[in-house]
Amino acid sequence: MPEPLSAALATLRARYGPQALRRGHQQPVAETWPTGTPVLDTVLLPGGLPCGRITALAAASVRGPSGRLTLLQSLVATASRHGETGYVDLTASLDPGFLADLGADLDACLVVAPEAGRWGQGFAMARTLTRAGLPWLGIALGAGRAPPSTWEHALAALAEAVAKQGAICVVAAPAPLAAALAHAASLTLTCAAAGWQRAHGDVLGLRVRATVTKSKLGAAGAAATLLLRYPRPYAEAEIVGLPSVVTPAALQAELAPAAAASG
Amino acid sequence: MRVLSALHPHLALVAALRRHPGLRGEAVIVGGAPELRLPVIAASPAARAAGVLPGQPLRQAQQLCPVAAFVAHDPTAVTGLRAALATALQQVCPAAEVGDEETLCDLTGRHAAHAGEMAWAAAVARTLSAALDTDPPQVGIAGSRFVARMAARTAQPGRIHRVRAGDEAGFVAPLPLGVLPIPAAMAARLAGFGLDCLGAVAALSPADLQRQFGLEGIELHRLAAGQDSDGVHSDAAVQVWRERLVLDGATGDLETLLRAARRCTEVIGARLVERGLVATEVRVAYEMEESLPLRAAVTPPQPVGNLAEAWAAVLGLLGQLQPPAPVSGLVVEVRGLSAAGGRQTDMWRAGDATREAVRLAARRLQLRFGEQAVRRPRLALDPGDLPERRFAWR
Repeated sequence: MPEPLSAALATLRARYGPQALRRGHQQPVAETWPTGTPVLDTVLLPGGLPCGRITALAAASVRGPSGRLTLLQSLVATASRHGETGYVDLTASLDPGFLADLGADLDACLVVAPEAGRWGQGFAMARTLTRAGLPWLGIALGAGRAPPSTWEHALAALAEAVAKQGAICVVAAPAPLAAALAHAASLTLTCAAAGWQRAHGDVLGLRVRATVTKSKLGAAGAAATLLLRYPRPYAEAEIVGLPSVVTPAALQAELAPAAAASG
Repeated sequence: MRVLSALHPHLALVAALRRHPGLRGEAVIVGGAPELRLPVIAASPAARAAGVLPGQPLRQAQQLCPVAAFVAHDPTAVTGLRAALATALQQVCPAAEVGDEETLCDLTGRHAAHAGEMAWAAAVARTLSAALDTDPPQVGIAGSRFVARMAARTAQPGRIHRVRAGDEAGFVAPLPLGVLPIPAAMAARLAGFGLDCLGAVAALSPADLQRQFGLEGIELHRLAAGQDSDGVHSDAAVQVWRERLVLDGATGDLETLLRAARRCTEVIGARLVERGLVATEVRVAYEMEESLPLRAAVTPPQPVGNLAEAWAAVLGLLGQLQPPAPVSGLVVEVRGLSAAGGRQTDMWRAGDATREAVRLAARRLQLRFGEQAVRRPRLALDPGDLPERRFAWR
């Protein structure tokens, strides 16, 4: 490396800190919060949800269920068992009874209800709580989308507060994912419904195909199928990873390039 | 526990007499014009002597006392009076509950500045009389709320009736059943059993009363025995710090007003830092010579605890105010003072400060966006079949 360049790099590091410059192969290390669900902690989000970042749970399609809100509420329920948790309900659809069925400690749940559709107000309220030290925050965005100009600044301020406090912020957003939110999120998990899980003619849960479509913390592209099992009178709600079914045709297609190379 | 009960004129009447000082000593009825279909809120002693009682229709009150002056009820003035009274009482006792016609104070323990309970009670009565600008109230002291109220009713105006600890049952025993705060049907059933005084009710077994009246029977027995455990539900006194600057001459120069506001804010900011407090509301008022003051208030997203935070709020308010005439004075005030979260509590248990700070932040959001903006759910004890009955908000 030329000497002037080394000197310039040293000056920049001295002035702005060592994190200001890094090599392309060096990924930033973020502290993580394990969700307690093996499929999430190992396959989709290695280590768990990142602290100090915004994680987006995005719906894959505009129509039909995606399971993102159930996934978000399940994560909120898990977090509430470990400390103070906030849930910003911009969908006006939260049933605290369902949250309790998911195992939430309602004493530790703070439900924030801004005016319906006012994303900017919701983000501002979330920021106030985050700045006060709330360590875990879930935000459920409704389908009625407000103009981006009314909430972009509030989202940027929220992202800054989350980073400063090292809080965990998970945003469940409808499809298509708003550009500002896609930009602010360090991790985007896209959820697509893969059908109802039925037994004896009854719906037990929803199968969801979850794919990491963006990650500033690691490689994107990891995918898994989750079963969001609904609470029943005789069984607790839970998130279960479903095995990927390998069909013979798919197996042959995977093996063909390897066979050609060896042959 | 020791509770002081002081009976004073209705706050609505006090507010009305402050507004119309010329009516002192006259027959005054508060509620509105007699042609309105409204009830009497309060009546002066002269009007009461003519048979006027709170709750009566105003038209009936006019027939009973044709010479009375009818004054409109001013709830804002009453709220201000109640807050001022709570603030004044906070100087002499740790907890005070200010009602419309009765004020309760907690006299448990000892007060460093007063030698005994009677001296302490006399100081409370003086404070009350000075704050309301009325004659000294009737005061009763006892071990519970109900007995203290009964003692106050039997006291002479300007006197203190003290019931010693342990004498409560004996004091209330001869009182008639009519003094009990119970439904009329229950009182009628008690009378039907041949019971004519509280002592007779106290002599019964609590189990017998419970069989007749359910859980209310247990409470009835406690009241009759002078053992009600209800204490003083204190109101939070409104703490206000106000800084006022009178200008040399009335001016409309914004630069001058800005400098005056800055000087007031500097004083308040320094006091906040010195005391380790934060304020949840900031107000600014322009005083003008020939018109009402021009005011603006804001509840900042974060409580203000120093000059920089207070100045940001004040600047925002100054931008809203457009004085229509030259300004002769400027007032900056902060309200809702509380300890700055996260400065002390962490010494005892990790996480306490965070929870307290989050609670304060949630409270501020409620003040800005309404009580329903931030809530905590809890599971209902008797959920029933409907999903929406499974939980309740608190």
